[in-house]
Amino acid sequence: MPLLELRNVTKSFASKTIRPFVVLEHITMAVDKGDFVCIVGPSGCGKSTLLRIICGLIPPTDGQVLYKGAEVKKVCDEMAMVFQSFALFPWLTVLENVEIGLYSKKMSKEEKRMRALKMIEMIGLKGFEEAYPRELSGGMKQRVGLARALVSEPSVLLMDEPFSSLDPLTATHLREELVDFWLNPNMAPDTVIMVTHSVEEAVYLANRVIVLSHRPGTILKEVPIDLPRPRDPRSDKLYALVDQITSLIA
Amino acid sequence: MEPIPRTHLSIVAGLLEVLEDYQGKVDVAKIADELMLELDDILPAIEAAEILGFIKVDSGDLILTEKGREYIAGNSMERKKILNQTLSRTSLFKWIIEQLKSRGNEMSKEELIALLEEEMPDVDAARMVKWIIEWGRHALLLRYDSDSQTIRLGELA
Repeated sequence: MPLLELRNVTKSFASKTIRPFVVLEHITMAVDKGDFVCIVGPSGCGKSTLLRIICGLIPPTDGQVLYKGAEVKKVCDEMAMVFQSFALFPWLTVLENVEIGLYSKKMSKEEKRMRALKMIEMIGLKGFEEAYPRELSGGMKQRVGLARALVSEPSVLLMDEPFSSLDPLTATHLREELVDFWLNPNMAPDTVIMVTHSVEEAVYLANRVIVLSHRPGTILKEVPIDLPRPRDPRSDKLYALVDQITSLIA
Repeated sequence: MEPIPRTHLSIVAGLLEVLEDYQGKVDVAKIADELMLELDDILPAIEAAEILGFIKVDSGDLILTEKGREYIAGNSMERKKILNQTLSRTSLFKWIIEQLKSRGNEMSKEELIALLEEEMPDVDAARMVKWIIEWGRHALLLRYDSDSQTIRLGELA
């Protein structure tokens, strides 16, 4: 049984005046434990909506999302999300922002603090526990976003354009860090689903790239990425895959 | 006093990653071109990486040093230790740590700005303190509480 399964997921938004607005149509896909899936597609193809449906933030209009065989009907706390805009609480410190990731967990305050501090250390935020988001660079802010998502040890990490508001060097570094965390068996995440508009980024990171069409978003193709790791972002094989996928979207 | 880095650490680390992809040696213009950055955007990162001893610059080429390789290969605590060892040897951090110790391990940000203005009249002390706090935190040399605007010694000071 796959870890996560989407069966014929469709999402439309009702409108009183015109026809319903269909964002996603007949999305069927499966994600196994240990997978790294990137979803690419033109802007407005419903990529972000798809992530929100997967974790139960919004319900599909039709079809089902199954997590370990059971239908996802409310926000699934086995999944955690990282956002493009970081989505940190500006009035909370780094430590408090990370602890928020455990708010729904039944554990003592001390236990939460201990886990948050451990995650802060693993993710390279040590020394910044008492800093507020406004004191941090973009790269450090996104590390906080990542630490908050990973502190609950989710089985699936969902990422919505996590590197696209960062400068190119910071993005390069954080992509590398994410792969290291994913490959590290002692550390979450095992399974990643990332939405990105950058085909290069998708091919560099993923085991599999899912290409969505323009609205309504349907799956045009699933492209397996069998390149060995560590990957060379400038290799001919990688570029050939980037070209292949780009030509599907353009 | 010798300079300290004046850009963010993740930008420096990104530069090292790119250099590693190029087997440790690449022309500056090529990196700027590839990342669609102006040379002016990338210079602070080059300067910072050089100050930290992670790269050498040789007639337009950036060369990754052994220490730079060690840094990117390390886990987050190993990296912090490298930063700690490097920055704790700079005269600026030595001086700040001395000042802190002589004041019972605590100093307000205003106080440090005033001290720096005296010590280094030709630098923008307020900006400098911002970088001192950021790198001091990375290297676990300093702690800073922005509610009370207090600087303290870090756990590896």
